[in-house]
Amino acid sequence: MSRAMIQRLLLAACLAFSFAALAESGNAEAGHKKSTACQVCHGPAGISVSPAFPNLAGQNYDYIVASLHHYKNGKRKNPIMQGQVANLTERDIEDVAAYFSSQRGLTTKY
Amino acid sequence: MPLTRLLAAVVLTSAAFAACAAENTVTTLQNKIAQCQGCHGIVGWKTAFPEVYHVPKLGGQKPDYIIAALKEYQSGERDFGTMRAMASDLSEKDMHDLAAYFGGLAEPNADAAPAAAASAAPEKK
Repeated sequence: MSRAMIQRLLLAACLAFSFAALAESGNAEAGHKKSTACQVCHGPAGISVSPAFPNLAGQNYDYIVASLHHYKNGKRKNPIMQGQVANLTERDIEDVAAYFSSQRGLTTKY
Repeated sequence: MPLTRLLAAVVLTSAAFAACAAENTVTTLQNKIAQCQGCHGIVGWKTAFPEVYHVPKLGGQKPDYIIAALKEYQSGERDFGTMRAMASDLSEKDMHDLAAYFGGLAEPNADAAPAAAASAAPEKK
């Protein structure tokens, strides 16, 4: 096997790995433990306790991640959520999103 | 007798107008639902540049939350160009009707209708 071929194979492997990582990097089990504060309002099963709070069960993983980022960077403003996300790391955000998105709930209605 | 004829004409005309108005209301709501479904009704649909992520699922969402979100988009408090444009000409009643349509399911974890359940299960991420 030529050196060029090995390099190409390595590159392909790296690309494949990074795409897999992009698809979803959260850990639902870890998210379950980290989401006790979320569950107070959004419910342990992702069905929220008040009509004012959104259900999260089954919501798209990357939409939850994006929303938490928006609360964190101030693009989306909500006093409660801004306080909640302040101490979340990137890893926490991904885990929590993985937990709620893995639940059965919301649907794409058409 | 002319008066009877006049009365009959008035009654018939107003009935026709009422029928038109009712039809118009239904059509308008269906048009507005169709606008939402252009994105939210497609499994796996994503936003465009600059940030790319799946648009949120609305089936089974809390109606009050949907109304609040639409108002935030309309006022510009919540900043997303497409949704701001979509919400710009919605009336209070439109928002309630749309929220009822998308959120008016049984609680999501209850037994969902087969079609809804099928769309919920597989397509994740």
